[in-house]
Amino acid sequence: MPVRTETKSGVTVCRMDGEIDINSSPDIKKVFDKLITQKTPKIVIILSNVTYVDSSGLATLVEVLKNMRSYGGRLRLVNPSSKIRSLFEITKLEKLFDIMSNEEEAVSTFS
Amino acid sequence: MNLRLETGKMIIKIPSDIRRMREVSLKILGSLKSYDLDNDRMFDIRLAVEEAVRNAIIHGNESDKAKSVTITYWIEDDKINVVVEDEGKGFDPLGLPDPTANDNIMKNSGRGVYLVKKLMDEVEFNAIGNKLKMTKKLK
Repeated sequence: MPVRTETKSGVTVCRMDGEIDINSSPDIKKVFDKLITQKTPKIVIILSNVTYVDSSGLATLVEVLKNMRSYGGRLRLVNPSSKIRSLFEITKLEKLFDIMSNEEEAVSTFS
Repeated sequence: MNLRLETGKMIIKIPSDIRRMREVSLKILGSLKSYDLDNDRMFDIRLAVEEAVRNAIIHGNESDKAKSVTITYWIEDDKINVVVEDEGKGFDPLGLPDPTANDNIMKNSGRGVYLVKKLMDEVEFNAIGNKLKMTKKLK
């Protein structure tokens, strides 16, 4: 599970592909730990190409959110599949995460 | 180890190694090919199986590779039945905290069994909690 990062209009955009699960979570965590150590203020995670998320993957995203909040950082998730979005609904994590459907909008409105 | 019983039930026995988890879900999903299930239903079954096996490995057997997890599955009356059993001392499934409660929602763990219950049609544990049976309708 590679995470590709780029900066757009002062927002760090992270693209993830494939599966966010117990096997890929440690590598994903390393990428975000680095961004969090740098106190990256705004992160958008693009989930369009993510095909599977398990409870470890959800926990990894919760940890990223929690760590970012500790220094006032903000996180947005973009375009999860309907199935993956339903996991956020079932677990009530949709209440915590800012989930948007459009990448450009997520970046441009991140004031 | 794979074994087909005369009853048509299939048994897979794996050591307590997370890397073996995927082969279990692949075998179970492979057995459902003739049902032509939609992707969402396949996703639910995969996730429930992997969460149950993972819990059995990590929490049940405490990742002791000398201990095994036994997965039995069969199709009956257009339902997939999966039983996951570990060699641990069990736990009280009724004592699990609600991961959606405000005090728990930011926690890094505790969603596995909750997801299994939400994604499958029926879920039950044995008395000591080291054996889980889950069922999902295929039609």
